[in-house]
Amino acid sequence: MATIPIEHSSDSRREFLRLGGENAMHCYQCATCSSVCELAPADNPFPRRQILLAQWGLFDELMGDPGPWLCHQCNDCSVRCPRDVRPGDIMASLRAMTVEKLAFPNFLGSLVGNVQKSWPLLVFGPILFWVVLLGLTTGFGEVETHHGLVPGPAMGQYFYDALVPHSLIYIVNFAAVGFVCLALFMSGTKFWKLMGDKQKRSGSFIGALIGVVIAIAFHTRFSSCERGVPKRRWGHFMVMWGFVGAAVASGFAVVFLYADIPPFSWFFALPFFSDIGYPVPITHWNKWLANISAVLLVVGGIMLFANRLKRGDKLVGQTTAFDRFFLWLVLAVIATGVLTEVFRFVVPVPMAGLVVYVVHLGVVLSLFLTLPYSKFAHIFYRTLAMVHERMTGGK
Amino acid sequence: MSEAKASPLLVIGAGIAGVTAALEAAEMGSDVVLVEELPSIGGRVMRINNYFPKLCPPSCGMEINTRRLERNPRIRVMTSSKVTAAVKTDSGWAVTVTTAPAFVNSKCTACGDCAEACTTMVPDPHNLGLNEAKAIRLPHLNAWPKRYVFNRDAVSDKEAKKIADACGFGAIDLDATETTEDIEVGAVVVATGWRPYPLENLDDLGGDIDDVISNVQMERMASTGGPTDGKILCPSNGEPPKKVAFVQCAGSRDVNHLNYCSGICCLASLKQATYVKEQIPDAEVTMYYIDRRAPGRNEDFLLKVAEMDGVNLFKGKVGRIEKAKKQLKLHVEDVENVKLIEADADLVVLATGMVPNAIDDDLALFTRKDEEGFVLDDLESGVTVAGVARRPEDVASSVRDATGAAARAVIAAGGR
Amino acid sequence: MDKLGVFLCTGCGIGDGVDVDEVLEAANEKGCTATLTHECLCGPEGIDAIRGCISENSLDGILLAACSERAKAPEFAPLSEEVPAVFRTAIREHCTWSHPADAEGQDAEDTTMLAQDLVRMGLARLSGMKPVEPLQEEISDVVLVVGSGRAGLEAALTASRLGHPVTLVEQGSKLGGLLADQVSIPPEEPPYDAPVPNPVPGLIAEIEADDRIQVLTDTVIAKITGQPGQMEVTFEGPETIEQTIGSIVQATGAKPYPADNLGHLGYGTSADIVTSYDFEKMLASGTIARPSDGKKPERIAFIQCAGSRDPDHLNYCSSECCVNTLRQVAEVDKIDPSIENAVIYRDIRAPGLMEHFFVGIQKSAGMMMTRGDVVGIEANGRLNINLSNSLLGDNVDVEADLVVLAVGMVPSSADGELIRELHDSRHQAEHSESSQVREASAKRAEELKDHEGTEILNLEYRQGPDLPTLKYGFPDSHFICFPYETRRTGIYAAGTVHAPMDCAQSAEDGLGAAMKAVQCIEMAKRGEAVHPRSGDTAYPDFFLQRCTQCKRCTEECPFGTINEDEKGTPQFNPLRCRRCGICMGACPERIISFQDYSVHMVAEMIKSMSIPEDYEEKPRILAIMCENDAVPALEAAAADGATWNPWVRVIPVRCLGSTNIVWIAEALSAGVDGVILIGCKYGDDYQCHYVRGSELANTRLGNVGETLQRLALEPERIKVVELSHDEFDRVPKVLDEFAEELDEMGPNPLKGF
Repeated sequence: MATIPIEHSSDSRREFLRLGGENAMHCYQCATCSSVCELAPADNPFPRRQILLAQWGLFDELMGDPGPWLCHQCNDCSVRCPRDVRPGDIMASLRAMTVEKLAFPNFLGSLVGNVQKSWPLLVFGPILFWVVLLGLTTGFGEVETHHGLVPGPAMGQYFYDALVPHSLIYIVNFAAVGFVCLALFMSGTKFWKLMGDKQKRSGSFIGALIGVVIAIAFHTRFSSCERGVPKRRWGHFMVMWGFVGAAVASGFAVVFLYADIPPFSWFFALPFFSDIGYPVPITHWNKWLANISAVLLVVGGIMLFANRLKRGDKLVGQTTAFDRFFLWLVLAVIATGVLTEVFRFVVPVPMAGLVVYVVHLGVVLSLFLTLPYSKFAHIFYRTLAMVHERMTGGK
Repeated sequence: MSEAKASPLLVIGAGIAGVTAALEAAEMGSDVVLVEELPSIGGRVMRINNYFPKLCPPSCGMEINTRRLERNPRIRVMTSSKVTAAVKTDSGWAVTVTTAPAFVNSKCTACGDCAEACTTMVPDPHNLGLNEAKAIRLPHLNAWPKRYVFNRDAVSDKEAKKIADACGFGAIDLDATETTEDIEVGAVVVATGWRPYPLENLDDLGGDIDDVISNVQMERMASTGGPTDGKILCPSNGEPPKKVAFVQCAGSRDVNHLNYCSGICCLASLKQATYVKEQIPDAEVTMYYIDRRAPGRNEDFLLKVAEMDGVNLFKGKVGRIEKAKKQLKLHVEDVENVKLIEADADLVVLATGMVPNAIDDDLALFTRKDEEGFVLDDLESGVTVAGVARRPEDVASSVRDATGAAARAVIAAGGR
Repeated sequence: MDKLGVFLCTGCGIGDGVDVDEVLEAANEKGCTATLTHECLCGPEGIDAIRGCISENSLDGILLAACSERAKAPEFAPLSEEVPAVFRTAIREHCTWSHPADAEGQDAEDTTMLAQDLVRMGLARLSGMKPVEPLQEEISDVVLVVGSGRAGLEAALTASRLGHPVTLVEQGSKLGGLLADQVSIPPEEPPYDAPVPNPVPGLIAEIEADDRIQVLTDTVIAKITGQPGQMEVTFEGPETIEQTIGSIVQATGAKPYPADNLGHLGYGTSADIVTSYDFEKMLASGTIARPSDGKKPERIAFIQCAGSRDPDHLNYCSSECCVNTLRQVAEVDKIDPSIENAVIYRDIRAPGLMEHFFVGIQKSAGMMMTRGDVVGIEANGRLNINLSNSLLGDNVDVEADLVVLAVGMVPSSADGELIRELHDSRHQAEHSESSQVREASAKRAEELKDHEGTEILNLEYRQGPDLPTLKYGFPDSHFICFPYETRRTGIYAAGTVHAPMDCAQSAEDGLGAAMKAVQCIEMAKRGEAVHPRSGDTAYPDFFLQRCTQCKRCTEECPFGTINEDEKGTPQFNPLRCRRCGICMGACPERIISFQDYSVHMVAEMIKSMSIPEDYEEKPRILAIMCENDAVPALEAAAADGATWNPWVRVIPVRCLGSTNIVWIAEALSAGVDGVILIGCKYGDDYQCHYVRGSELANTRLGNVGETLQRLALEPERIKVVELSHDEFDRVPKVLDEFAEELDEMGPNPLKGF
């Protein structure tokens, strides 16, 4: 028999209210929200029950609940809610809360959770880290590289890695990525277990995962919600693929660096890869891939933003600092990335290029480090929730 | 109460609240002018089949009230009339009452010869347009005054002439015109009542589907004088329904529609459930609710209906209704078992709420009105409010309020 | 009346439907002074013609043989000033419309015979009528208000503002009732989103400032004798006062449901489980602390329906608890926002505009809410409230530091009838000869003993000292159409004693009841009856020389009008009378008569019917029908084009309860083949405007069964039917079916004797 203790649930309620849950307090449990939701599973519907549990501060129940993650926040419910509770927003707040509560290590979770206060640290920390790191290593002067002795910033056309040795980037970012994987793995297993405790799963994980990945690839769930309201589907679709493209492109870029190093040379006998010479020309397909991805990110982002303007405020829902932080980081990465390119090829301004590049590295690092605690984590939790749903007989 | 006579009271609206207020004041000794927009008195209650919880016909109480009205020389009833202007005076209000053209005048004996001569049919307002009636007709069998009404515009001049000639008492005057009268009154009782919240605003709930009807339409359908002679039938195919769903709070308690509880719908639906079970004993009736609101002794009625077999009270508000192949499909969460249900039904009754008629009337004597259109007492200006014009409530409460309002009005008019 | 005129309208098809000359001839045979026909009796010319004829022949009674009294009333009304007796018979509805010669089962001769009988019956009625002399009594203006809660205070002020002296009596030492010490009340004006100050102190101040209002505290009513307008009240308090008053508002309010009965909700097991009334005191004190240890509670749980909506306790919903709980939550939040409030309900009942209050408190104070049934509450340092069927999942334990039980309300009323029955049974148990009666009475007295000493008004009425109640101790009334009309004329219930209601409704109710009380006095001054025959100035006259002290009238009057002296002779109180005639129907000696309505008059009407001797040709059926429901239904049927058996003769009566068995005997011995009585539905949801009329008629007829058999008559020749006002489609069928049943039985054997 569940008990609803005072201390614990009271703290959770306070926390939840801070994350934008106030409206849950005027829900009167009519269940209009669940009944109009296209995504809610019949045998475990949301968001009505989640709102009630949140109102009572029962977050232990909610942490292991796939509901908030299966919600794509089309806000069909918020538009129809007779008490203006805006269940869509409540679900968003619950996602934020889950990310924070399941975070590993926990303090980083609350750090990002309190981003209103902590954002300068989260952004400038990594940038500063790079400045210091570079100061200590290259000192921004002449450095020996495998391209021979390379003069400092004074020179015009030069390799960036002269000042920012790729080795450093690998060390730092691979470390970061490793950490991210660990963090996500720890939170993920916790989340997966909590869900399992509530609902028995059956069938193969991989099978379910494949289904889910396909669903995500085509954004099928988006299409099923949002009856008769402007669509977010394509905007989100582009942004997602933009990310994927950018990731692949950067992957190859790294590989190409080593085109002339023996262990890899066989590789460059292959078609497409034969013409590699550094610097990679702007016309190269990988650059195309990178730039198209950038365009997808920008256009998709603009579409999502435009959509927000187009739709009534109930359909948009509230934007919390939690969402905003992630969006700004992404924008910053794109902006600094593109600027770096501009200063390099379009209007060569070495000094500016260098500064922007370092900032770019900083925000990228910040983006990496906060991935498990920022809105980005939804990719991960939502995927798991969808797999769980399939393994418990859902659609 | 001789001083009261000096300044008569004006009662606007002759629904159950208005009629009660007028009678109570007049029997106390005040002179009363009772103004009603429709051609006969009784308002909404005359369109109700039975009252809850006694399941007795409203015409029965109204019978007593009309006898009281006829016996009382202090009341002047103006039907087909509307207060079109009002000016505050030192002693109360100077109002202008506009009376629609009396195409049928007081000579009418309700013999019906004119209707014989009439061939044009019009939607019957008494039955909310659910059926057609002659363009000249008695509003309904218990209409008071017992006088025919004539939709002059609906018929050709030629037919109008034929109809007029059919009357042996010279009661039909085709040249009748609108008349106005200025009246000085000491105080005013506002009893302008309500109208049902429009179905067409409820598209999520299938307001545009044939077999989705409103609770007021259900009352007409169930009553002997109604469009189906009291038979409960699916509008789409004229068949008696096997499964009937009552959807509560259809528009009420909803920021997107009526931001208040209409106060009567739960009991109205419970009552209508008994209509269905009486006519179609094997019908399955489900009432989808947020809260079962049966205050006071009405709890007995709630229990009585809840215990009938084939009646199911279901916690969960219906979110969406759509037309499936044969039946209607209702989307609702079974809140008690945390499951989503797709229930089907042959006939859906939306428990639509009450909209105060005063909402779109900016008459000067509605000195205080809230944003939802409910009128508030303003005793300084000699205005008092009764019935649903003041707040959503049932007949019993309206009658109680109206009696109190009569007292307020007599006092405001300097009753002593 | 002896100089009678018959005015036969020939309009509306009457002239074509019947043989006018034969109808007039029938009238003349009955010896009427003048007859006149007109094609539009209700028109100005028609009315003038009548006037002319009246003065010409100095008529003292006129029969309008035209349309129903439901038509053209305003047109014919002025005639009452010209002639003492006017009677209308509905030839149009009861005869020509419903019996057109061309319709199946009808023929012209029958229709004309029906019209003739209607005229004969009308004349018979008229000849019995006497001029009405309205009562002229000395009437007291004083309104007595019993109880000083919100309803009582509002009633006192209203009656005073209506210009009447008021006596306000309160058994306690201070005014205000249950509301007296409440910190606030729910809102009564927009925006309805927060509690508002308690108006009671202000009302008390107004009362004290009003010199038309006399306040008696620490005072109870020892005795009330007399009738409305002339009630002699004896107050017992610091001093014994005697006062004459006109009418009464009973606003004795309600008591909190005794929490000791709420063991299942843990009351008594922990000091931290309190009632909403105890908690209100805590709120008033400004500090919220657990009674057990004086610590501030971190979470308060409010449990709704404590006793209400519970077959083991109060069957009804107390109506105010949900909203009152919301108010208390708001007050807690005002005192200490850090305290959590949890509300456990079955249905949140914040009806109408109180929805704004509900949302308002949710937004401002933000309580947790769940529906749920309390299985039990355990105290272990904190309180664990075990809920089933909660929305939080089945069986959860909600932890709380303080539990507030929203206890329901019990009306502070006494059931006059039962108290009367208690005293009667006690008397029987002692003095009855038969031992069974003694045992039965003793048993009944035991059942009723709780009513001992509950008297409030102490009316010296034959039928008991207080208002009869309907259910759960609330006073009997037509609580939908005529909520203030109790079964004691001039006594009106208001506030929570009237029905479960909230603070705002109580205020309204006080106003309304005061209005009725004042109105009753004003009508008494004019010698008029109150509801439902408002304005009727006729009243029954008792010819006591022939009274046999059978006590039927004193027992059957639904309004306790008639007292008894020690010998059991009825003592009639006209100002208590509602003019239904039930006493007249009850009287075996036929000594009770109105000036315009009596056993004799109706008997004469029956005798005046023509009864053809040859049954095969023309049977006769007498239909005695309630004029408030059955007759209007019949006339609606006629207007709707229905037809029915032409051998039925309808006599409208004020109330089926005024039916005297003598009429049945008269009819059968005159050769009428069957008698059908059609009245209102009775039982818990009775529709009779005189409460028990149709029921009493039914019981009376139940008793004549064997009498009939002695006369070798089938009991089935008499039938009682319940019918509603709206059953116009059914009433012709009822008549036709009865005609068929009689046809199978064959003629009345007494025919022709």
